[in-house]
Amino acid sequence: MGQRKKVGAVKTSSSENDTGEASKVSPKHNICMVSDFFYPNMGGVESHIYQLSQCLIEKGHKVVIATHAYGRRKGVRYLTNGLKVYYLPLQVMYNQSTATTCFHSLPLLRCVFVRERITVVHAHSSFSAMAHDALFHAKTMGLNTVFTDHSLFGFADVSSVLTNKLLTVSLCDTNHIVCVSYTSKENTVLRAALNPEIVSVIPNAVDPTDFTPDPSQRPTDRITIVVISRLVYRKGIDLLGGIIPELCLKHPDLHFLIGGEGPKRIVLEEVREKYQLHDRVRLLGALEHKDVRGVLVQGHIFLNTSLTEAFCMAIVEGASCGLQVVSTRVGGIPEVLPEDLITLCEPTVSSLCKGLEKVIAKQRSGSFPSPNSTHARVKNLYTWRNVAERTEKVYDRVAGEEVLPLEKRLWRLRSHCGPVAGSIFAFVAVLDFLFLLLLQWLVPDRHMDFAVDATGPNGLWVKKRQKSEPGC
Amino acid sequence: MEDESFCNISGKPISLDCQSHSSFCREFTVSTPKISIGKVMVYTCSVWLFAYTVFFFTQNTAVLSSAILITLVGMMLHIHFVKVDHESLLVIGSLGIQVSSSYASGREVTTFIEMSKIKDIVINEAVYLHQIIYYLCVLLRDPSEPHGVSSVVTLFQSSKPRLNCLVKIYKSCQEILSTCK
Amino acid sequence: MVLKIFFPQCCNRADSGLLVGRWVSGHDSAVVLAVIHYPFIPGQVKQYIQQVQAQSGVELSVLGSWSLPKDGQEGMESFLKDLSTIFPQERWLQISREFGKTGFTYEEQEDEEKVIFVHYEQRKVMLSQLHPIQVQDSESHSELRQMFGTVARSQPLFFMDKYDDGPLKSTHWQSEGREASIIVELLKQASAPLCVLLSWLLAVWTWICNVRIFTVFPLRFLASKLSTCIQLSYRTEHLRTLSSPKADSRLSSSVCRKANILVSVLVDVALGVALMWWLYRDDHIPMLADALVPAADRVAQQLEELLQWLMGAPAGLKMNRALDQVLGRFFLYHIHLWISYIHLMSPFIQGILWYGGLSACLGLTFALSLLSDMVALLTFHIYCFYVYGARLYCLKIYGLSSLWRLFRGKKWNVLRQRVDSCSYDLDQVTPYIKNIMVKKHNSCLSPHAAVPPQINPLKCGAVVQTYRTPTYSCYPRDSWAALVKKLFVGELIYPWRHKTTKSD
Repeated sequence: MGQRKKVGAVKTSSSENDTGEASKVSPKHNICMVSDFFYPNMGGVESHIYQLSQCLIEKGHKVVIATHAYGRRKGVRYLTNGLKVYYLPLQVMYNQSTATTCFHSLPLLRCVFVRERITVVHAHSSFSAMAHDALFHAKTMGLNTVFTDHSLFGFADVSSVLTNKLLTVSLCDTNHIVCVSYTSKENTVLRAALNPEIVSVIPNAVDPTDFTPDPSQRPTDRITIVVISRLVYRKGIDLLGGIIPELCLKHPDLHFLIGGEGPKRIVLEEVREKYQLHDRVRLLGALEHKDVRGVLVQGHIFLNTSLTEAFCMAIVEGASCGLQVVSTRVGGIPEVLPEDLITLCEPTVSSLCKGLEKVIAKQRSGSFPSPNSTHARVKNLYTWRNVAERTEKVYDRVAGEEVLPLEKRLWRLRSHCGPVAGSIFAFVAVLDFLFLLLLQWLVPDRHMDFAVDATGPNGLWVKKRQKSEPGC
Repeated sequence: MEDESFCNISGKPISLDCQSHSSFCREFTVSTPKISIGKVMVYTCSVWLFAYTVFFFTQNTAVLSSAILITLVGMMLHIHFVKVDHESLLVIGSLGIQVSSSYASGREVTTFIEMSKIKDIVINEAVYLHQIIYYLCVLLRDPSEPHGVSSVVTLFQSSKPRLNCLVKIYKSCQEILSTCK
Repeated sequence: MVLKIFFPQCCNRADSGLLVGRWVSGHDSAVVLAVIHYPFIPGQVKQYIQQVQAQSGVELSVLGSWSLPKDGQEGMESFLKDLSTIFPQERWLQISREFGKTGFTYEEQEDEEKVIFVHYEQRKVMLSQLHPIQVQDSESHSELRQMFGTVARSQPLFFMDKYDDGPLKSTHWQSEGREASIIVELLKQASAPLCVLLSWLLAVWTWICNVRIFTVFPLRFLASKLSTCIQLSYRTEHLRTLSSPKADSRLSSSVCRKANILVSVLVDVALGVALMWWLYRDDHIPMLADALVPAADRVAQQLEELLQWLMGAPAGLKMNRALDQVLGRFFLYHIHLWISYIHLMSPFIQGILWYGGLSACLGLTFALSLLSDMVALLTFHIYCFYVYGARLYCLKIYGLSSLWRLFRGKKWNVLRQRVDSCSYDLDQVTPYIKNIMVKKHNSCLSPHAAVPPQINPLKCGAVVQTYRTPTYSCYPRDSWAALVKKLFVGELIYPWRHKTTKSD
């Protein structure tokens, strides 16, 4: 629990800095979450944005989400509790990420920011080009920005060098950065050359009510290892392919249950065919979020083989369902769970096998605590309300900050990002500013209708709900 | 009968004319300003100047005559197919909705939607070019599905009034629709 | 509820009388069809209504009274009010209008109601095709459709002449100038024998087509490839549709379709005749024929030059000398054959064009399809080159891709249609690589011998496979991306095959 204490310490220190704390009622913000990744695409970032938005709406803030159009889903949609989502028609380039030209998204994003009277722009995920664009444009328009980084990055290969440079530029103006774990914070601070004081750590959360243990579903005559992750290289599926035959040979009552889909599925299929493990290794394919719990409760041990991970939600979900967690010691994983709930191994086949053997032996001897007691411990570790509270504090702090005028911004870009890249991006920033002026001349702000609020202090949905609640 | 002035989404003034024929029959007319003579002059002059420069270098008189032809034909096409003078929405309770738009040349396009096909009239949001705008639309009932919407008819498509104007029309439309349902 | 009265415009100024029409069932609305004027005998009115009802099948009834008091007709109103006792109805409409005023007055005995008064023009409504033809389920239709249907079906009512010396006088729309449509009537009379003749000719034609000799393999195959034959079959189909007996000619859609086909055929023939007129006017055909042979010669010469260039060192590339010599000579011989064939044909070309031009009287599309066939036949050698080239290229691409897989330690699993990883020993890999390297050199000579066993077997089917020419109703949805992909992979693009027709 050492990590948790640290988190708490930072939390209090950041709230001490907060000037808005003195006044009892904290101001309500108009927040725009921007990311390329949102439903109907599935993943950690998507559910993070959704859950965080829901909790912020509950706290009385106005939240809108801007993402790119997914197929026929474009335009404006409303989700539960009046969460408004703009699916903007921007061209998708690669892996659901939009093309970044720095300019083409400005007209639409400006329209969203102006008509929704946005005060804080919150961008998510460093893989999302749209998020970077939004940070850039928001600064040009004089809005305060927050960025949440969900992933870890290397420093060595060409792509990460380029991405890191881009991150440096786009985060140099950002008022506050949120990371999901200390490792991730370290990583981000190094990559983007940031001042660590403006980086907070707010871990992800799971909904504990969705992941309750059910020991009756476990088969008693065998031991089941559950793996739920996308079957891609980053998740260490090649390691899994090495582990399966080795352990299956030693333990004839060992079964594997693998949920998820991806390009590396073929590795597992080949392993299964080569060692004729069709009855012991089950590949479930892509799982919907609501089906995950049903799979988790069937197992005894949860295995995570990720090669890089900022904050692993899957292991929290697994532990919440009362499973013993075995994971690789990479990224922010060691911070996530208390030591007695997780077995950490090096990301090699032999180390993972050793760890698994130990856990299997313990499982056989029955020396593990009951699933329900594990669930009770994990239940209160990570909740979305907690995340929302801490994010709110970040917003309160950011809202008080002043936005740098253009000349100071240019100076900062040049001093912060080096003479060459800094100059280039300063030039881009000037162009962006000119483009904004052009747009403001073409369609002045006063000719834009303010959107009718669905959420927030004057939200129509909130009022409706409040009205209907006493009646019910 | 009242006449009020509003703006459309690009800031041009438009006028809304609400005529209440009876308690269940109302007509809304949104008229856009006439084409300004200055704009016509600018376009014509620019085409002619361009033609004259081409003529100056090529010494081909066909260029000049074609320029005149282009401006004339262009103007005719513009007032006949593009420039909408006014759009009107006639709501008759229990009978239906008549949408008509008349072009600057006098051409009129009229559509009638029967009341039994109309599910509702709503204000919706949409991405239009580089803007996000509000618009008024009629939801058509899907005959096979009682709660489904088969298609949407956009109202005031060319004048594109702003939200305050739409809300006004919407409220009085809803008054009529609610009484006859 | 709001009461709707559909009132014909022509009755606006009618004399006072009785409103005859129909209550639309299920809705609160009435359709007024005519006004019967005073004086009348109630018994005669009832008889008349029954008579019209029998003719048209519309449930007519007396709806109410209409009064437009003129000078000297003051006492009418009370009389018209009393009429409701003579014609017992559930509801009794009383509509009146004062002369010189625009408004109408509606008087209701019972409760206060809202009334919508809709004027309609009887003629337009009757002639429009909006009314439903299927009257069986009229209950489910909306009231407007029912109203349209009512007006359309009461056609017999409108044919009664205003000047007829009947017992009743009424006002409604009536046709004027029926005699103007004599030509139409004549055409109608003439169309029946014409259709019979046409269908007999068609029967003969189909019988000829179905003779056994045409169903033998090569002829049928040819017929499916030549656009002229396809065009002929379309034409036959159209004419068959046209001459088909009008079993359901009441259906406006089928009438529309027939008229559509007829007009399109007529326009087609007219354009074809115009083309013929141009062709035969001042000796355009010999001019064309004279131009054709030199053009073919020039194309052949240019092709030869291209081949010579490819046989040397094109763009400074060093090629496999033996291979390009073999290929080049092969193609050169091909061109030589073709050109000699064209020269052999040259005396007959003018004749062919002359007789082919005659086909334009069947329609412009027919002439165009004939032209397309002729062009296709004349350039068949170029198409052959393309097929050979594409096949060779396709083989190379397959070979290269399998080599690439081999280097990565993968192989194509034929059974599962996927790429598996596979660990080769060195002595397994070496012969494969050698094999493929050898294949690179002499793939044109023995393409099958060197294909390693794990490569997906090539679909080296017939050069031309069955394909469907897109008809006007079903255009295949192909994209440029698909075309570029096919070009890159080396699949044939001319007989365009779809992915769906591919059989694994």
